[in-house]
Amino acid sequence: MNLRAQIKEVMATELMLEVSVDEIGDDSPLFGPNGIGLDSVDALQLVVAIEKHFKLKISDQDKAREILANVDSIAKAIEEAGLV
Amino acid sequence: MDLIRRILITGANGTLGHAMARYFLERDNLCHVFLGVRERRELAEVVVTDFPGRAFLCPLEITSQKAWTEALEGITAQSGLLNVLINNAGYHDDALLASMSLSQWSGVLDSNLNAVFLGCQAAMKPMLQQRWGRIINVASLSALHSPAGQTNYAAAKAGVLGLTRSLAKECARLGITVNAICPGHIEGALPKSWSEEQIKIVKRETPMRRFAKPEEIAAVVFFLASADASYMTGSSIKLDGALV
Repeated sequence: MNLRAQIKEVMATELMLEVSVDEIGDDSPLFGPNGIGLDSVDALQLVVAIEKHFKLKISDQDKAREILANVDSIAKAIEEAGLV
Repeated sequence: MDLIRRILITGANGTLGHAMARYFLERDNLCHVFLGVRERRELAEVVVTDFPGRAFLCPLEITSQKAWTEALEGITAQSGLLNVLINNAGYHDDALLASMSLSQWSGVLDSNLNAVFLGCQAAMKPMLQQRWGRIINVASLSALHSPAGQTNYAAAKAGVLGLTRSLAKECARLGITVNAICPGHIEGALPKSWSEEQIKIVKRETPMRRFAKPEEIAAVVFFLASADASYMTGSSIKLDGALV
């Protein structure tokens, strides 16, 4: 399974999403009205899940906003940190 | 979550903290209790001696964010991720508002409210990692029935109840419950300034005609910390013998 698919699986499992993995596009916004509808509590869970599954620590809030924009940006952050 | 439950109790050298530590240790062989203490630690040290390998001193200045981080790191390194936080430490420094100094006000707010914020924030990380956690905040009857001379303490404890309700909503999906208790008068923890006569009067005013035993408060905390209390969150439980 490629990294982006793994991220979607982790999101679906850890956040108990009501949308299926197939409905999450690589560049679909995760937050906001045009996104898949995550909220700030989901963001908190997602940060913990990313650290747990991919060993990427996100401690800076501004950085978190950028990284958690969509699946693609999460994958890039993991790749850039050399964690794959 | 593994079998061992790790419980941190702040103010563990006080009457109630001490009773809670013993209550957990005597009833749950699989728990490790970390006794949050500052300078005074004689009672806590007795617990450590009585329960070797299961009770540990945890030096903690509750008003310091750094101290909380270090304490949680220490618990993780020694035993594993924290499961239960009991924010019990606090004190009151009573005065009429007209004559209350700013340091009396802010000292009580720091120890009774800001410290709860710091503790909850520090504990959330290990609890989130496990998707399981129990936070129990020890408020006071003063939050609901605020006597004259306690504007600082009553405001801080009422703040704890608000924090509890709000944080419970934030944590509801995360497997973490957040509840508060509001104990009334407790045997062994009555204000030192009370005379024998005052004690008699307050006892008479209490419909149960007695004060709580520390173990009676600990029993409720023990339940709130258990897996059985899984749907109870954001609650404030009054434990006052029907005084209010």
